[in-house]
Amino acid sequence: MSDKIIQVESLTGGYDGKVVLKDVTMEAVRGEVLVIVGRSGCGKSTTINYMLGLQKPYSGKIYFDGADIWSSPEALISARRRWGVLFQSGALLGNYTVVENVMLPLKEFTSLTRAEMRDVAMSKLELVGMAHAASENSLEISGGMQKRAGLARAMVLDPEILFFDEPSAGLDPVTSAELDNTILSVNRSLGTTLIIVTHELYSIFAISDRVIMLDSEAQGIIASGTARDLADHSEDPRVRSFFGRKIGE
Amino acid sequence: MNGRIVDDGNTVSLSGRFTVRDLKRVTRALGTGATQSTIVDFSNCQSMDTSIAVRIWSIIEAAEASGRVFKLTGMNSDTQQIFDRFKVIDDWPAPPVEDHTLLYNFEDIGDKVLATWRTVYGLAVFAGKAFKALFSGKFRGSITAYYMEQSGVMAIPIIITLNWLMGVVLGYQAGYQMSQFGGELFMPALLAYSICWDIAPMMTAVLVAGRSGSAFAAEIGTMKVRQEIDALEVMGFNIYGFIVTPKMIALFAVMPLLITAANFAGMAGGLAAGGMFLKMPAVVYIAEVKKAIIPFDLYWGVIKGFFYSTIISITGSYMGMRVRGGPASVGRATTSAVVVSIFLVILVDALLSLLFIHIRPGLTL
Repeated sequence: MSDKIIQVESLTGGYDGKVVLKDVTMEAVRGEVLVIVGRSGCGKSTTINYMLGLQKPYSGKIYFDGADIWSSPEALISARRRWGVLFQSGALLGNYTVVENVMLPLKEFTSLTRAEMRDVAMSKLELVGMAHAASENSLEISGGMQKRAGLARAMVLDPEILFFDEPSAGLDPVTSAELDNTILSVNRSLGTTLIIVTHELYSIFAISDRVIMLDSEAQGIIASGTARDLADHSEDPRVRSFFGRKIGE
Repeated sequence: MNGRIVDDGNTVSLSGRFTVRDLKRVTRALGTGATQSTIVDFSNCQSMDTSIAVRIWSIIEAAEASGRVFKLTGMNSDTQQIFDRFKVIDDWPAPPVEDHTLLYNFEDIGDKVLATWRTVYGLAVFAGKAFKALFSGKFRGSITAYYMEQSGVMAIPIIITLNWLMGVVLGYQAGYQMSQFGGELFMPALLAYSICWDIAPMMTAVLVAGRSGSAFAAEIGTMKVRQEIDALEVMGFNIYGFIVTPKMIALFAVMPLLITAANFAGMAGGLAAGGMFLKMPAVVYIAEVKKAIIPFDLYWGVIKGFFYSTIISITGSYMGMRVRGGPASVGRATTSAVVVSIFLVILVDALLSLLFIHIRPGLTL
């Protein structure tokens, strides 16, 4: 089994013919927490969308566990069964309760009985501290709770890799730190590879093993390394100003 | 202290704080100077907002183009900073120029034709994928039952009421015209044919398009905006099987029943009109209706129901799936779902009517 769980090779892509990412190459190693950072509009979420197969690149390849995800529709479907995603909004289905949302992938892809499905879902909700809200309507809980429930759903099939698109967006600092801890415990206890898009400095330092920084003018990666390394030793003024973030700089 | 303006003929002195509320006074003071050279003294001007600054800037620009000279003196650093922002005004991107040439109008028509073609093509591809999922995916009973309740059970009161009213109106108008020639006995047959062949199926389809087609588009559009569709897709769900086919099956199940109910409601309306306006006994009305229609006329509505179900469920879902961006896009999708569904229902109704003439037993032209 290769150490590299996901590889992006010479990816070029964007929206409506406009190039946002040009010739981007990157990879994530099994078990690591890779954080993709950059200023708004630099293509962080776009990169995740390409990795998830939600958009087809203009050129370049994306390999999951050594297989090109776009080689056939079946390749994409089989890759998707092995990963989980937490979107910015949590993306819970509105007509369902929290536990029903978490049970959805089990219903679709397993032959567990309803009672077994509920037990699996409840164990994941317990892991993210949401077991008490299992029977609540998914739209009637707070934003932070929606995200934690979304995380439980993303983990319910024990994926090998979890993607997070700005998990802290719209959360207060305390809830955001709680979510960071939950994310980190998933990585530490289950060994799940995590790819996280964020621009929250606290989260970047708290949870990342490695950081990749994108830039809109460069249309790609301008720096890669540990958060501490980039903050302390980068010569690039764009990197320094991002990590320094001092008023007037 | 509010802004104060003193004009001594050569010098306009601004003192105090100037805000957007002083726009007219500043414009009057600077815009109407008779002299070739004007000094604007800001020495006692404590502050001004951006609207005042941009107005002074544009007055100066316009005046200097016509040879008049302004000299600005005594600006404090804050005011100077606001003015300095406009020094690069020429570097800012110009607003897009609206093209009103004849060629542009032709291009615009061309764009709209292409957009319509893309919608038709997209709808056809979407329908193909939805039918593939319908025949190959798994049946989701509880979701389908939910949509059957929403689109069928909850639509019964409005559909029965409106079709009954249509029957009353048609019965009265037909009966009135026919009674001029002593032919009111033909009213039940005319009404039964109209109701069963066209009015009830079409009215039902229009109401279901308005209620359920729009609801489908709004529901799916909102799911798109909230990234729920992306989440399902990434989890490996077949979106067509999970989102679209339960709606299709639900409408397939309820539409024929709704149309059948509408048929009877419409004919009951005719019965009421006959009794009220033509003093026609109920037994006579029922006997005339029975003489006129055959079971095929009732089945025809059911057959039409399958076509209309397909149109409404596919169009509503497709328009919802096309949502990009924010909530306004959901509103547009909802409108498009209703308009396109009703257009297609009427188009298909016209085509089916041509077919009907040839296949209904006992009908000759």
